[in-house]
Amino acid sequence: MAGGDRSDGTPQGRPAGELRRDGLELVLAEVAKGDHAAFRLVYDKAAPAVLGIVRRVLRDPAQSEEVMQEVLLEIWRTAARFDPSTGSAAAWIMTVAHRRAVDRVRSEQRASERELRAATASIAYDEVSDAALTSLEHQRVRHCLDGLTDLQRESVTLAYYGGYSYREVAQLLGVAVGTVKTRMRDGLIRLRDCLGVE
Amino acid sequence: MRARGAGLHTLVGAYVMDAVSDADRASFERHLLTCEQCRTDVRGLREAAARLAEAAAVSPRPELREQTMQAAARTRQQPPLVVSQKRQFLAGRQWRHASRSARAGARPWLARVALTAVVLLAITATVFGLHLSSMQGRLSAAEQRDTAIATVLGAHDATTLTAKVTTGGRATVVMSHGEGALVFIASGLTRLPAAQAYELWLMSPTGATPVGMLPPARRGMSGPMVVNSLSTGEKLAMTVEPATGARQPTSAPVVLVALGS
Repeated sequence: MAGGDRSDGTPQGRPAGELRRDGLELVLAEVAKGDHAAFRLVYDKAAPAVLGIVRRVLRDPAQSEEVMQEVLLEIWRTAARFDPSTGSAAAWIMTVAHRRAVDRVRSEQRASERELRAATASIAYDEVSDAALTSLEHQRVRHCLDGLTDLQRESVTLAYYGGYSYREVAQLLGVAVGTVKTRMRDGLIRLRDCLGVE
Repeated sequence: MRARGAGLHTLVGAYVMDAVSDADRASFERHLLTCEQCRTDVRGLREAAARLAEAAAVSPRPELREQTMQAAARTRQQPPLVVSQKRQFLAGRQWRHASRSARAGARPWLARVALTAVVLLAITATVFGLHLSSMQGRLSAAEQRDTAIATVLGAHDATTLTAKVTTGGRATVVMSHGEGALVFIASGLTRLPAAQAYELWLMSPTGATPVGMLPPARRGMSGPMVVNSLSTGEKLAMTVEPATGARQPTSAPVVLVALGS
């Protein structure tokens, strides 16, 4: 993992979509053995996407940085628990990141504040549109999001980028809870098929 | 749960995107244990969700990198989950080994472990027998747990701890530090109203991690449950919680077992 110990460090310009294509799973196996250089490499590869999703959900930049670091530390701490048979390393890391961001939202933001967020919910999707222009990978995700029905896309983006529960999404969109559950599932399935992930 | 299985299945998208309540999550995760198709779906949809995260990537401030590295240098890592790795090696070989050692009677603690093992195995067989006949698809989860139990009980450093449950009954823990896992079983627990259940936790200085809900007792025995993500210095705790489970304990533990190091 000597190659991972680069001191310049800034991950600028690295499209996060490269994550799964260069053996992050193998790097994680080294992290599990306490290899700090390997962890640096994981940081460089994963931190931008982790910060991205955490910030999308939390909005607050300072809090997002804090949660991003917590997520990376959790990856360091639990790298030995990563089981490649349950999915890619990138998916594992992003699962940890999203869960932690949502947990933070749920524990801190109670009723009144959530109503405020509801008023600005539409921002979630617009921001994606902007980010989607920055790289080929982003454009692909954008393209696939465009392939969903409006209700699927809104359900997925409000849940994933907005950090809303399916009940909240149902309320925001004024549709039945059961409908939202189905749209979330169908939307993600369509996204999966469009992106060609296994 | 059986009747709700199909309904739970549609929850997969919301579950993958953390758009579920704690109670929904607990139900769905229990459903996952017995639904292979759901596990496959979760795997694929998580990859898709990860792409959404990657599409939102932004560059962290450069100084965060060194801060995170320094924090890592101060943070102890958890040992690997042994059960999933060991599954393939465990074609009963460790079992024969354990019982042979016990018969030799060379070390009294080994005999004690073997005795507990026999008791637990008998219970396991009964519990699984009942479940298996009634529910298809249960087999792989049950097999997995059976293997995990065998791994702990067959471990060379398996030790038995018992503790009184403050509300009645007795808890027995067979644990192996080497395997980083334990088997929990309780007898004579006070029966709870339908809306409540016993929940197990791993308590560490940084907080409580939910381990799972104890299934309803059969013939006075609850469990066995396998806990396979142990770190040094943790304690195993059991609390009374809403039947759907809690993410953090909402009441004082009715039993607390220090797992030692």
